[in-house]
Amino acid sequence: MADKDWKECIKSLKGVVLDMCGVLYDSGEGGGIPIPGSVEAVKRIKASDLQLRFCTNETQATREKFVAKLKRMGFDIQVSEVFSPAPAALAVLKERNLRPHLLVHDDLLPEFKDIDNTNPNCVVIGDAADKFSYQNLNDAFRVLIQLERPVLFSLGRGRYYKETDGLKLDVGVYMKALEYACDVEAEVVGKPAPMFFQSVLTDMGIQPQEALMIGDDLINDVGGAQNCGMRGLQVRTGKYRPGDEKHPAVTADGYVDNLAEAVDIILKYRGQ
Amino acid sequence: MAMRQALKAVLIDLSGTLHIEDTVVPGAPEALKRLRETPLAVKFVTNTTKESKQSLLDRLHRLNFSIQEREIFTSLTAARGLVERRSLRPLLLLEDSALEDFAGIETSDPNAVVVGLAPDHFNYQTLNKAFRLILEGAPLIAVHKARYYKRKDGLALGPGPFVTGLEYATDARATVVGKPEKTFFLEALRDLDCTPEEAVMIGDDARDDVGGAQNAGLRGILVQTGKYRAGDENKINPLPFTCILDSSWSSSCDNEMTLFSLHRNFKMLGNGLCRGMHGCVTGPETPPL
Repeated sequence: MADKDWKECIKSLKGVVLDMCGVLYDSGEGGGIPIPGSVEAVKRIKASDLQLRFCTNETQATREKFVAKLKRMGFDIQVSEVFSPAPAALAVLKERNLRPHLLVHDDLLPEFKDIDNTNPNCVVIGDAADKFSYQNLNDAFRVLIQLERPVLFSLGRGRYYKETDGLKLDVGVYMKALEYACDVEAEVVGKPAPMFFQSVLTDMGIQPQEALMIGDDLINDVGGAQNCGMRGLQVRTGKYRPGDEKHPAVTADGYVDNLAEAVDIILKYRGQ
Repeated sequence: MAMRQALKAVLIDLSGTLHIEDTVVPGAPEALKRLRETPLAVKFVTNTTKESKQSLLDRLHRLNFSIQEREIFTSLTAARGLVERRSLRPLLLLEDSALEDFAGIETSDPNAVVVGLAPDHFNYQTLNKAFRLILEGAPLIAVHKARYYKRKDGLALGPGPFVTGLEYATDARATVVGKPEKTFFLEALRDLDCTPEEAVMIGDDARDDVGGAQNAGLRGILVQTGKYRAGDENKINPLPFTCILDSSWSSSCDNEMTLFSLHRNFKMLGNGLCRGMHGCVTGPETPPL
């Protein structure tokens, strides 16, 4: 039934938003590998009358480096089409005059190079991967616990993602750890925060019901988009697990085997 | 009242109640001695994640407390008990000093995860390993869920945040075996042949010692030593069973003493607490709060 719904909305679509890791490629050693059919699928959307944006919670590299990596994999993609949490967080920090203690991947640090982080009055965590040591997490904890009102920003709240050598813990796990330790609630920047999706829609100049989100993360991609009034489609690649299709809280508007199949269906229903 | 039950056992917290690091809490040894003169069973219960039973015992002996190994029940003991009852092969996120309490447990090809306080193991690789096991269905056992603890160099993260993170990652629920879990107190009483209603718990942590014990059906007595901070007694509901003993608590008291008479014999002090262990088991010479 849900399947029928999303196909019925295809004709009124004006834009498609793609998650990246797990939809376009699987990450891992050496930068990762494209998921079969995805390079071609992106080309086909771009050749259609649909707008296309990319929306990622990737925080292991600056947007520029990340886009360069995808170009090397063969994807037709520009920095201006990509929405990621770090630039969004930077804007919030500046607006609120906050000095962050950063627990982020070394390769993301250039995004924050212009901000004052002496005597920090908040903590920003991203997917720091191997930098998520006890010592580093403890340092972030100590900054928070000595603040009268601890402020914690989390670049996304994902639970885990898939790399070529297996599933890996994502930033949300460490966000939860700090939330529990300090009795605070983190402010999430990135998916599934509604503001993040809204900024993508604003950029395309379309309404939520005219947009379709395609992702492998049921909660953050599909659920997040649906909360904004968009449709959400889940691909059976990346971190997808069969149990997702029976999730008690989130039901995708449709499921497809991969991005290529999604694009096949979309273009067929639009007669292109 | 429905309280006519004999008092049979006293559970006592260690750190903060009997001693603080390598210092004895004033009056505690004498209080313990007095308790020993009664027919009451005594057990020492503690949330330890780093220290084995033997190292706890060594310290207590150095401080001249006369305590037997079998009288100590820790969250590590409880975790081991659970692992044995369910024939699990755990991945142990524990410091070497705590591993002693798991000697003889099969740990190859793990099908369970036990998390204690293990700063050396709370790195990305090891947590990923634990996460993958749990995602495949391995039970997650938490020695306890403390948020943080005090170290010489300042506050440091306890096991709780990491357990919470793993729960979030996997949608699993950890089985917590330490205080303030109900099962912890029931396990501690198991070989004492008494019901929770026949026991009291004395400790310095309002939530973990007193709240937990009361939730399990025991009486809880909060001492104002150790980590106690003014107002802690108001953090839990119901309030601690607050009291000090008057002189009628003596070696002459016997198993027939009921909780009803406990009320009579304990001097209720408004919202008062015990100044310390000695306040719980000494006579009227204890200065009023």
